[in-house]
Amino acid sequence: MLSQLKKYLHNKIKITDDQFDLIAKGLVSKKIKKDTQLLREGDICSQVFFVAKGLLRAYTIDSFGKIHIIQFGPEDAWVSDRNSFYFNQPAMFYIDAVEDSEVVYVPKDFYERAEKIIPGFTNFSVMILHNFIRFMQKRISLLLGATAEQRYLDFIELYPNLTLRVPQWMIASYLGITPESLSRVRKELATKNFKPR
Amino acid sequence: MKAKTIQQILPPPAPHMVGDGFRVHNFFPSGYYIGQSRMSPFFMMDYNSKVDFSPRETPRGVGVHPHRGFETMTIAYHGKIAHNDSTGNSGVIGEGDVQWMTAASGILHKEYHEEAFSKKGGPFQMIQLWVNLPAKDKMSKPKYQPITNDQLGKYQLPNDGGTVEVIAGEFKGVKGAASTFTPVEMYNVKLKKDNSVSFDLPENFNTGILVVEGSVKVNGENAPADNFILFKNEGETISVEAAEHSILFVISGEPINEPIAAYGPFLMNTHEELEQALEDFNKGKFGYLED
Repeated sequence: MLSQLKKYLHNKIKITDDQFDLIAKGLVSKKIKKDTQLLREGDICSQVFFVAKGLLRAYTIDSFGKIHIIQFGPEDAWVSDRNSFYFNQPAMFYIDAVEDSEVVYVPKDFYERAEKIIPGFTNFSVMILHNFIRFMQKRISLLLGATAEQRYLDFIELYPNLTLRVPQWMIASYLGITPESLSRVRKELATKNFKPR
Repeated sequence: MKAKTIQQILPPPAPHMVGDGFRVHNFFPSGYYIGQSRMSPFFMMDYNSKVDFSPRETPRGVGVHPHRGFETMTIAYHGKIAHNDSTGNSGVIGEGDVQWMTAASGILHKEYHEEAFSKKGGPFQMIQLWVNLPAKDKMSKPKYQPITNDQLGKYQLPNDGGTVEVIAGEFKGVKGAASTFTPVEMYNVKLKKDNSVSFDLPENFNTGILVVEGSVKVNGENAPADNFILFKNEGETISVEAAEHSILFVISGEPINEPIAAYGPFLMNTHEELEQALEDFNKGKFGYLED
């Protein structure tokens, strides 16, 4: 099941099969069922989860019991609680599987090994980080200043198939709007865009 | 005419849930990996073998979801299914009824156990078949053919041996009630114990029979309930003898020899068309339906 990670890295950096075997040594890959919990708030997150297949989500639960989805992790996504993974603090997020999934558990020493063995890995790692920051910055700006429709349009561009894979309430939770607002947005879009044949 | 050769008699694969209302065995394409075009024009067959649902106030089912590029054919044997779609159609598929929905350019619909049935609970049994459309019709206007059991063409077998209900195509001069885009033969056959019937179906048509109830001998081979008989494209004649009172669902169609690109609820010819379908669905171009 490491083949998806290998394929992913092959597409991103120059890496030989031997190099992959060296850095992948000891990596654990698991098939997990829908709803399997991978991380709980308050625990120490000792790995990053690479999604080979399926879908994960990272979320918080507020004092009213309401779920706020921080990130969806479809195929080829890296999902983690960075505060916990890099700074050894208690996790802020829960992480679980929205679909039956195949997940690679990637510990810290994987990154250390990869940086030693593969010349381009550090640059790649920094690029991933910048991309993630860019994504988060955009997400903050949309959450603070965009309309529900703008947030939804950005979402479907980023994750075109998640509308078929997750229930409406999860999309609404991710967008920081109520399910009713999401329904309204979709209804308004349909009114604008639907042309009967 | 030559007897049609049986390729394999397939027992029902392990069931999975579609939403929380349909416990289905998928015979193709994924159940036995027989290939996406092996049964063309039929792309998918989900069979809810007879199962008891406990009574429930809120009906079980599948919420709003889109379809594009094909048709769905649903037949109910036990229990009732309620249906709503974004073109404004709604209805109930009662026992013995057929619903033929042409999603074509795009439709949103939801399917639930009918309310009174849900409250009462009881045995539930149905089939849903996806019938592909040729490229030229994939983006045609959606339509809906609700066909109640009394509207189905019926051929009475000699000696009160049973009935062939003609859903599509033609059997011994009796025409099917549904209109189709490509040549399709589809029958629901009720055969009494020790009676027999035979069908002549073209060699090039992809053909299969699901034994919905009872047990039959088909071209000399025994097939029990819930099994699907897959035929090779050799020979034409299928002879069926009923070992007990039996119900058979017979499908046979001329293959659509075009590329298939499938993703979830979309069935198109190319990957680009699938991406377009997703974008159109997300942007409301399929219309709107309240969940």
